[in-house]
Amino acid sequence: MALKALDIYKLLPKKNCKECGDPTCLTFAMKLAGGKADVDLCPYLDDEAKAVLGATTRPPIRRVKIGVGERAFGVGEEFVLYRHEKTFYHPPGILFKVSDTQSADEITQVTIRVRDESFTRVGTKLQFNGIAIENASGSKESFARAVATVEESADLPLVLISENPEALALALVQVGTYRPLIHAATQDNYKAMCALAKKHGCPMVIKADSLEGLVSLVKDCAAEGIQKLVIDVSPQTLGDFLVKSTAARQLAITRKVPELGYPVFLDTTKTGMQDAAIALGIVKYASVIVTNPLSPAQTKAALTLRQNIYTDPQKPIQMNPGLYRIGSPGKDAPVLMTVNFSLTFFTLEGYLESTRIPCFMLIVDTEGLSVLTSVAAGKLNETLVRDSLKKFGVENEVTHRNLIIPGYAAPLSGRIEEATGWKVMVGPRDAAEIGEYLYTEWKK
Amino acid sequence: MGFDLQFGWTGTVSEVVLGRTRAEGGTRSVSYRIGGGTTLPFLDTDRPSPSPLIAFECCDNPRIWSTIVRDYCGDLVNDPAEWAKTAETVYGADMVRLNLTSTKERNFSDVAALKKTVESVLSATTLPLIIEGSNEPKIDSEVFLACGEAGQGERLLLGTAEASRYRSIAAAALAYDHSVIAQSPIDINLAKQLNILLREIGVARDHIIIDPYTGALGYGFEYSFSAMERIRFSALKGDADLAMPMCCAPADSLTIKEVRDAPADARDEMAVQWEVYTSIAAAVAGAEIICVRHPRSVGVLKEAFAGLKSHSHSRTAEVR
Ligand code: B12
Ligand code: SF4
Repeated sequence: MALKALDIYKLLPKKNCKECGDPTCLTFAMKLAGGKADVDLCPYLDDEAKAVLGATTRPPIRRVKIGVGERAFGVGEEFVLYRHEKTFYHPPGILFKVSDTQSADEITQVTIRVRDESFTRVGTKLQFNGIAIENASGSKESFARAVATVEESADLPLVLISENPEALALALVQVGTYRPLIHAATQDNYKAMCALAKKHGCPMVIKADSLEGLVSLVKDCAAEGIQKLVIDVSPQTLGDFLVKSTAARQLAITRKVPELGYPVFLDTTKTGMQDAAIALGIVKYASVIVTNPLSPAQTKAALTLRQNIYTDPQKPIQMNPGLYRIGSPGKDAPVLMTVNFSLTFFTLEGYLESTRIPCFMLIVDTEGLSVLTSVAAGKLNETLVRDSLKKFGVENEVTHRNLIIPGYAAPLSGRIEEATGWKVMVGPRDAAEIGEYLYTEWKK
Repeated sequence: MGFDLQFGWTGTVSEVVLGRTRAEGGTRSVSYRIGGGTTLPFLDTDRPSPSPLIAFECCDNPRIWSTIVRDYCGDLVNDPAEWAKTAETVYGADMVRLNLTSTKERNFSDVAALKKTVESVLSATTLPLIIEGSNEPKIDSEVFLACGEAGQGERLLLGTAEASRYRSIAAAALAYDHSVIAQSPIDINLAKQLNILLREIGVARDHIIIDPYTGALGYGFEYSFSAMERIRFSALKGDADLAMPMCCAPADSLTIKEVRDAPADARDEMAVQWEVYTSIAAAVAGAEIICVRHPRSVGVLKEAFAGLKSHSHSRTAEVR
């Protein structure tokens, strides 16, 4: 059962020393009650209080940070089984796998790709998150060399894959301080692995065939003092992953089996079906996804799916309404009206930039709905356009009175003319045709 | 054992039959019974989860069809019967969805030709069919009746009923014992309303497939995914008016920016990946019929679904 903030407060040291990152013990207690903080953040808690609070107040899925620096990413700290109940907060890291049997050149190429490659969708930069290095050779020297090769070209979060603690120990000599995720501790090697995790302070994957096996490993690792864990359900098939990851998530968020409250690891290269496994991992609770390097098409599809699933369905990503400039538009530049749905804004903006015609974008507040959707819902209407023209002072910016509206808003053109006194020009439906439209219709 | 999934669902997704074999009074080589789920997709560990069906979409007038698919399929696109046959024998689809795009031509009136097309496709392929009729209230009634009649005895799936136009299609389905696709714009309440409307004019629950509308990846899929999950939950919680199997048609995938702007040599792969990633996510959210337009998507999805439904058992032949 969850404790109330006041009950928790009673157990805190009441020093108000701020070391937990909160201004007072009480605000920290409130965070704990909401499952938004970890008890470990307060250094002064006695063991008894920790024991009472630990199990009930920490987020049902612990947060685990992988890597250091700019590209480090945190996973876990999720609260629901279904995204429509709330939202998913921490998108899975997707890491490209290299093996220590590959040449240094090949390894460097993959590393540089992950370091440099990105693309922007809806104003957000999308990229892969790091490199997983596998000790396929069986030799600890080769493994250490491969790890060094990666490290030479980029400061990326790493997963070190080897069940041989000696190989890991050697690799960690070089990268231990960068908090790589080590994979994996099993029933057989966990003591040595825990010692490594402790020495370097890095997060660790535990791996077992069954959830029962994982729970017992979690307990074993806790006894060794290791809690920064990620779990690998070692799936036999995609279906097996789905069943186990769903069960682990359900048991964790209901706190029935708090030992399963850790982010989930998925190595898609073991499934024989990369794309299906990546898509499945993204929608069903994987937090660290390892894959072979992907083609440009796979890259875009995978990263776009991740972006979609980790977007709050209750709140479309929105722009602030207002008058935006493309280039340095003069008093005779065209004014194009559109809605404040980010996807619409960025799509139109992209095409407008490539026309190289300086212009104004008038963004009206449709509460984040797209053109067609807001027309269908009645949110985009003549009053809104009139008020927006006024509010954003468009009349002072241009000397003409011509407003280009989206093709899909054509049914509103007459009413907008009446309400605003501006001449309405109906643009194309598809923003891709805006360049041609401006050259033929505006310039003439 | 304490670690099994515990949802406590009480409802069941209703079963819908697609196609009729000779023994059942039709001419298909196979018929499918989909639905029947009592938990979320692929999570039933006691019995084999059914694989979602993959329907390949073709059309009778390729003028408005994606150029990517036209380029890939070549001359086939001018012959719906051959195209449908290829979908069965080469692409490996489970169903064929014939889109009567000829009805979208201005002043279309040749309903007799439609009937012939449907008949020729029925004889060219042995798979169960989805027939996508017109989208124009003036001709809907005639078009759907013609399709319905041409496929009499074959238990077609007719598309697409929407809240603003469902009567013609329902009438044809009732007259010739076919099923219908009921589409609503990504909204669980609208989906339910439409199903109620259909039921009120006599379409039985086991003759309805819900299409919650699939926004393309990056263009609305964030809504579609959750709409599908929510519809499935409602079914499992016992809401009979939402307890129909769902279909997903990521057709928008072929017109979005990423696919259109892809370099020529990567366009096919971009189209395939966009359909595949959407379809897999949709199948996990509850879609039991997946409609794709790029031939290469079919095989990729087949393999993926085989992996998803297996917790380690093999594919069962007749029982779907
Ligand atoms: C995702 C989606 C939703 C999401 C909302 C997404 C959002 N933030 O807007 C949700 C699920 C909430 C939704 C709800 C509804 N939806 Co909706 N939805 C869609 C969907 C699948 C995609 C919309 C999208 O993201 N488009 C992408 C953006 C970028 O497109 P866009 O804004 O139109 O911009 C393009 C052009 O307009 C142009 N452009 C933009 N600005 C400008 C400016 C100028 C000057 C020019 C020249 C061009 C231009 O460039 C862009 C790229 O080409 C569409 C179907 C589809 N394929 O379009 C249906 C769709 C728009 N929805 C529809 C409907 C009916 C609704 C509802 C009214 C249903 C209802 N009764 O509740 C509701 C209304 C919302 C409400 N009441 O709150 C219908 C509209 C029917 C019609 N033709 O009028 C559609 C077409 C689905 C359908 N086929 O039935 N929807
Ligand atoms: S660190 Fe502990 S004692 Fe200090 S303010 Fe936070 S809760 Fe109070």
